Amino acid sequence: MLLESLEAHCFRNLSGRVSWGAGLNIIYGDNGQGKTNWLEAIYLLATSKSFRTQKPQEAVRFDEELAVVRGRVARSEQVHRDLQVAIQNNIKTLSINGKRESVARYLGQLHVVAFTADELEVVRGAPEARRKFLDRGIVSMQHAYVQTLSDYQRVVRQKNRLLQDAADAELSAAELAARLAPWNEQLVALSAAIHRARADYVERVNAVLERRLFGREEVSVRYVSSLEGKGDLSDYETLIAERLQFRMQAEMSAGYSLIGPHRDELEVLFDGRDIRSFGSSGQQRSALIILDLAAIAVYHSWHNEYPVFLLDDVDAELDRKRINQLLEYLEGRTQTFVTTSKENLVEQYAARAEIFEVREGIAELLAAPDGRISTSSKDASSI
Amino acid sequence: MLDYAEPVTKLIDEFKRLPGVGQKSAQRLAFHILRMPEQDVARFVAAMEEVKRKIVFCTVCNNLTDVDPCRYCSSTSRDRSIICVVEEPYNLVAVEKTRGYHGLYHVLHGSLSPIRGMSPDDLRLQNLLPRLRPENNDGIEVREVILATNPNTEGEATASYISRLLKPLGVRVTRIAMGMPVGSDLEYVDEVTMDKAMANRHEM
Repeated sequence: MLLESLEAHCFRNLSGRVSWGAGLNIIYGDNGQGKTNWLEAIYLLATSKSFRTQKPQEAVRFDEELAVVRGRVARSEQVHRDLQVAIQNNIKTLSINGKRESVARYLGQLHVVAFTADELEVVRGAPEARRKFLDRGIVSMQHAYVQTLSDYQRVVRQKNRLLQDAADAELSAAELAARLAPWNEQLVALSAAIHRARADYVERVNAVLERRLFGREEVSVRYVSSLEGKGDLSDYETLIAERLQFRMQAEMSAGYSLIGPHRDELEVLFDGRDIRSFGSSGQQRSALIILDLAAIAVYHSWHNEYPVFLLDDVDAELDRKRINQLLEYLEGRTQTFVTTSKENLVEQYAARAEIFEVREGIAELLAAPDGRISTSSKDASSI
Repeated sequence: MLDYAEPVTKLIDEFKRLPGVGQKSAQRLAFHILRMPEQDVARFVAAMEEVKRKIVFCTVCNNLTDVDPCRYCSSTSRDRSIICVVEEPYNLVAVEKTRGYHGLYHVLHGSLSPIRGMSPDDLRLQNLLPRLRPENNDGIEVREVILATNPNTEGEATASYISRLLKPLGVRVTRIAMGMPVGSDLEYVDEVTMDKAMANRHEM
């Protein structure tokens, strides 16, 4: 898929319309001019969310009521769709080709994989960030998984409340067990679905992982079930049902759920060592890039098209050698958007990328591989 | 100082207690009442009083009714060997509209939800088990209990809890199927429902 053009009104400091290149797009400019805002707008158009804020209204320009981000996406040579996200009174309205659509129908029109400062949590943060990385990937292939996840979270919340309240209610152990059973029964089925989906996804990731993209150190991943070593994982339903039974007393004393895939972990190893504790910050970034590229490759093998790749503040995140290796790898694969404040990166890629300079929210084409240089508005067909 | 005279403020506050009614709606409703002819207001008040005075829970099935036992439980033409368990009276109405079900009902008035403080003790379950004995059911043995609680996590938990209570008694316990809505096209069905329908497919 290809984001042909993007138009923003009152979204942060952005204004105007930009026609993007099909390959590498470098968004260049001094700090505070709005480079990342353009990436955020692309991310918003794709996911209906921001990678910076939970409150939509924060992205609307001060003193304005309505912000609009509109983009034209090419799904194939013949199929183009106009996507739009409008934010007003903290409410987002999504539309495709000028017609309002539900979130479920809107998502998936434009898929992005984004490398942002936040996403570094995947390689250096708590296990939750890594589980989210997996779940994002699974949802991109199988949308119904969203429901599995939300049902699972709901069941865990219900069960936790039951365990918390049990202490005050002075229930007998037998009565509490009877009340836990209906929740545990659902937990077994939902846990098994999540476990299988994640194990399958990690298998796909491993199959396409560019282990040595950045040198001789090897990156590998492994899904570590919290039930590992407790029995036969191939018969997950039986195993977790047994564990829930066996650990019921412990869950009662703890007052919350101790068993289930919300305790699972994705192990990311750099030369056999845990990247989170032993990796340098450069190695962590390399590993995350390799994971993101794997997510892109898995998406491609499933949908037979590439998602769009976003890389914020490339210089802060990667050294020059790695940037070159990465951009070389992506060439001919994804449509890529990177932001930078460094002029020498721009000079180096001038012949192979569309370069945009951002000043006070306006992005202007400085150079294009075909020599096209223009400051007037351009239509999407020129891509 | 209050924005409106005391009686108006009191009425607005009462409307705000209702589910789904916020400040703006409450204000609009209160002013609508102020503009209504007096006899219309009296009729409205009488209707509310009457429903509270006359409507009771059926002692057999807990359905809302003005005669006890309710017209389903006292009907001579219904199949007394099947009981369909639903969460709310309006779920009963939904099943009844099929015109294909002629058994009895049991209304729980809620579903299990620890988060909302709903435990098994808060469901109207105590009078379900006694109904399975022929001596409490016009001498007829109950063959089957259909669990028609909602297809969400709370409804599933409720169905699971009740089936665990009933199974040891030897009665057949069934759960309504989940899947395709009839009369619509495959393309309009959401992915989750489609997924369920594929999983619950049957031999032809």
